[in-house]
Amino acid sequence: MASLRPRTLPLSVRALRSNLRSPRPSPNYLFSAPASTPSTQTHPTRAHSTSSVSADELSHFSGLASSWWDPMGPSRILHLMNPLRHEFIASCLAEGSPSPNPTSSAATLNYLDVGCGGGIFAESLARTIPLDPTSPAPTPTLAASMTAIDPSTDLIQMAREHARMDPTVDTHLRTGRFKYLNTTLEDVLAGNAGAPTSASTPTNSGSTSTQLTPPQYDIVTLFEVLEHIDPKTSTPLSFLTNCLRALKPGGWLIGSTISRTLPSFILNQVIAEAPWPIGVVPRGTHEWSKFVNPDEVKGWLQEGLMRAADTGVSRGGGAIAEGMRWKCVGAIYIPGIGWKMVPGSEDWGNYFWACTETLAKCT
Amino acid sequence: MRPISRAVLRPYVCPTCRHGITAGRRRFGSKSDSPELFDVVCVGGGPAGLGLLAALRASPITSKLKVALIESQDLRKAKAWDLEPNQFSNRVSSLTPSTVSFLRSIGAYDQLDVNRVQEYQDMQVWDGQTGSRISFDWSMETSPFEEMRTVATMTENANLVRALLRRIADSGDENLSLFTNSTVASIENGSDLKPEGPDLSAWPVVTVKPTGPATETETPKRIAARLLVGADGINSPVRSFADIPTQGWDYGRHGIVASLALAEPATQPFPASKRTAYQRFLPALGGPIALLPLPNNHATLVWSTTPENAAYLKSLPTPAFLAMVNAAFRLDMTDLTYMMGMQSSSSSSSDSTHSHQDELTWRVQHTQLPSQIPPPATAVQTGTVASFPLRFRHAAQYVSPRIALVGDAAHVIHPLAGQGLNLGLADVASLSKTIQYAVSHGMDVGDLLTLERYSSERYLPNAKIGGACDLLHKMYNVPGEGPITWARSLGLGVVDRLPFVKSFLMKNAEGY
Repeated sequence: MASLRPRTLPLSVRALRSNLRSPRPSPNYLFSAPASTPSTQTHPTRAHSTSSVSADELSHFSGLASSWWDPMGPSRILHLMNPLRHEFIASCLAEGSPSPNPTSSAATLNYLDVGCGGGIFAESLARTIPLDPTSPAPTPTLAASMTAIDPSTDLIQMAREHARMDPTVDTHLRTGRFKYLNTTLEDVLAGNAGAPTSASTPTNSGSTSTQLTPPQYDIVTLFEVLEHIDPKTSTPLSFLTNCLRALKPGGWLIGSTISRTLPSFILNQVIAEAPWPIGVVPRGTHEWSKFVNPDEVKGWLQEGLMRAADTGVSRGGGAIAEGMRWKCVGAIYIPGIGWKMVPGSEDWGNYFWACTETLAKCT
Repeated sequence: MRPISRAVLRPYVCPTCRHGITAGRRRFGSKSDSPELFDVVCVGGGPAGLGLLAALRASPITSKLKVALIESQDLRKAKAWDLEPNQFSNRVSSLTPSTVSFLRSIGAYDQLDVNRVQEYQDMQVWDGQTGSRISFDWSMETSPFEEMRTVATMTENANLVRALLRRIADSGDENLSLFTNSTVASIENGSDLKPEGPDLSAWPVVTVKPTGPATETETPKRIAARLLVGADGINSPVRSFADIPTQGWDYGRHGIVASLALAEPATQPFPASKRTAYQRFLPALGGPIALLPLPNNHATLVWSTTPENAAYLKSLPTPAFLAMVNAAFRLDMTDLTYMMGMQSSSSSSSDSTHSHQDELTWRVQHTQLPSQIPPPATAVQTGTVASFPLRFRHAAQYVSPRIALVGDAAHVIHPLAGQGLNLGLADVASLSKTIQYAVSHGMDVGDLLTLERYSSERYLPNAKIGGACDLLHKMYNVPGEGPITWARSLGLGVVDRLPFVKSFLMKNAEGY
């Protein structure tokens, strides 16, 4: 009975969201340091965006950081869901691959994981990157590189430490094929993702245009992030638009979230958060009102595709929205069995979604 | 679960090495050279360990994993194993159809010497006390016109081990290290190779020491395992390192094994290819006797009995031993108990060799023989009479971070249903599938989230089969007439007459 993100996760996402407060990015938040950690919290320019993070949540968050990778800890249900993410990505790539040679099994795809948290997905994908770049990819996800970003310094630090425990992943971290960046999506788009993100980093006072650094990623992933964005103070639309801007033409934007329906209310709020032994996620993990329905995501993505393309490409927005390929499948957690993809169960709660722009006739 | 910090304090060191390795040397070793990294290190080169390796090498998903196997025996000798066509090793196992299909799926079954393998289609089981009988075959599931379905396949363990070694050799030697004639000198947690290396503090690091004369010259090798698999038997060093306790008891029984030649059957089987296995419970003597078919009218004997009876039987000269085996399938409990106490070689050697045979000949004339009994055993292959203690063990867990136990390291059961090796290979099938799933989903093969898939799949089935064998052992150890004797023969009769119940039991026992 579905659903995920331990209660403290929203913190990192909220920090992310705080960087997306207005649809039109302003230099003020775009290029400043990420918020939400005690060290950056005191920085004058960030004060406004950290105000939504209560001291209570911060202390709870510290508690979660240590248990993030505990297979029996509060994030267990997220860990259990992770293999399905790989399967869903593989099913997307089977439908259309952004790789120059779609039939080859060479590891050619560059991934960006937005809101990676402790790195559950990012690390697992990095593990599939072949140590020898010329050898074929061991999995259908065909990963050549992974860049994982999260605005929370603590979570990125913990993710890096955990990654060192796997020599393969550690090697990728050292060679740079796998990167954990304590940064925001906007910084990545502006091309200064690799720069240190301390509060004193001088901000790029130039334009916010993404034309300076063209989109770089074949796949952008957004797992369990959307439902933690507060529609009152932030817009999923601008957030998704930025995600689309980071994509190469023909690349996939892939995510998962929870729908806002009566069955999902019963599953996620009443059953999943019920006291032990019925409940599987800590009480207060989710706010049902923040959940998003598949048709909403689809609408935002259509709008976002038009906006993302609105940077000098000649074709009209409507054609782009029509050229969008949309994919959506529900996932259900059955205690004792685990997560299962159940097509048609999107309205019950958790679902995976993906979109790509099919480069058809009118380019 | 193994508390990492505790395991650091108490690394497993094998008893013979405990003396030689000083704390100082160990510290020096771990600092100066980093261990070689492997994805899967399997300790133990028996059927389970080799089966795992063969399965991993056979799957395209896991064939690229860097794997190692540590075995104290000489694997080259095992690979070159050969016997005369009518000579049979006394270590024989029965493979259930699901085990056979697993072996086929990894390409190992084709490497078996089929001339040394015997399928059987019928199993006769009866109670020596009451005579109630059950016959296990698949006739209730198949039509009379079909070929009879195999109940189980008998093979020498050496034949199976050789087949698995051949299969592994066929996969090439890339990413494969076989440490033959080597023992595990110690297992400890690795160290954090900061700043230039990864953090191996949760990785088990095995020190491999060659056995034999080369010990002094060759330096022990240190290998780190992403996943360390304990296929190392009942006294598993890997299990000790992981600090996993076991529950269990000794049955106070020994199993006697021997390779026998049988007389031509009085009536030819129909159809001609049909072979039968026989098992008779002997409550007065402490356990069942079983005769399982091997090619060319040979059979392997497994007789579970008390240690005193076992010692007595082993001390008998060959003709007397054969007489006892034949008597055990024919005579009443009272006669058998009497014969088991007969004076043997000590008094008058020339006389005693015949006395058991004479006694049997005379007593059989006064016994109502059951309808289906095995042909008389006529010869014992020299040097094949041996015995081993029967025990029950079950590990509290099969997994711990970066540790998995398979086969006897995880469970040892009573051999009366011939399930031990099958459970071990079922573990291996499940673990190799789990590793495939992990590799194809970006999971760490040593992570608990990976390994729990294996243990949740295997723990209950193993406990179920082990418990059923234990229950049967206990029920058939109640001698004389009484409620339990009455209940067990009623139960046997009922099961024999209810095809669907029998079919259900057989499917359970054979892993269908």
